[in-house]
Amino acid sequence: MSQLTFVFRSCPHTTSAGREGVDALLAASAYSEEISVIFLGDGVGHLLSMQNPSEIQSKDYAPMFKLFDLYDIEQVFVCQHSLQERGLDGAALLIQAQVLNVEAVQQQLGMATKILTF
Amino acid sequence: MSQTQSLTYSLVVNGSVYGSQSARSAYQFAVALLEKGHQLVSVFFYQDGVINGSALSVPANDEFDLTKAWQALAKEHQVRLETCVAAALRRGVISQAEADLHGLKQHNLADGFHQAGLGSLAEALLTQDRVVQF
Repeated sequence: MSQLTFVFRSCPHTTSAGREGVDALLAASAYSEEISVIFLGDGVGHLLSMQNPSEIQSKDYAPMFKLFDLYDIEQVFVCQHSLQERGLDGAALLIQAQVLNVEAVQQQLGMATKILTF
Repeated sequence: MSQTQSLTYSLVVNGSVYGSQSARSAYQFAVALLEKGHQLVSVFFYQDGVINGSALSVPANDEFDLTKAWQALAKEHQVRLETCVAAALRRGVISQAEADLHGLKQHNLADGFHQAGLGSLAEALLTQDRVVQF
C-alpha cells in the first residue's frame, strides 16, 4: 500500500494543475519511497509523447515525467477506459505506465491512504 | 457521548481567495474540525490558492473577507499558513525577502502567511493523520 497517491486528471497545459502536480510529486518523492501515480480522465493527455507546447507559450514539462525512474517512482498507472474514450488506446506513451481497467483503478484508489489530485 | 479521538489535520487549498468555492469550503471545514476538537496544524496554499495570502485583495464591504478570516483562525488556533513559494512567485504574491531578492519594489504577502517549499506539503502528507485537499 502506497503512502502517497498522486492522481492526474486534468488536461496538460489547459491549466497549470498538471505542471504543479508533478512539481509536488517530485518533491514528495524525496520524502517517501511509497508513491503511486495514476493518470485518469483528461489527465492521460500528460502521457502523450511528441507534444510541442512552446507553440502555445506553455512550458514543456513532459521531461519531468521522465524523471520518475531516477526518483524511484515505480508505481505508475493509467486508466484504460480514459485512454479508449479519447481514442488514445495504443498511442505511444511518454513513459512506462501499467494500464488498468476501471475496477483496478478503483481498487488502487481504495487502497490509497493519502491522495492529492491535480 | 463517546469520546472521539482527536486527529491532526493539514488542508491543501488550491482555489483562489475569490472566484471559486474551494478556499471558502476549506475555511468552513477548518472551523468545523476545530469545533470538533481536532487539531489543524497547517494550511498549505498551492496553485491559485496562494492568492489567499495576498494582502492586497479588497473584498466588497458586504462580502466575507477570507484572508482576514484565515489570519484570525491562524492566530486563535496556532495554525501555520503556508503559501507555496514557487506558485506564489508566479502569481504575484511576494514576501519582503523575495522582493529584495528579485529586485521588486513591492511586496504583498499578508501577515500571518509564510512562504514554504513543496517539502512542507510532503511533510504534512506524511505527518498528519488527515490531509484534505480543496
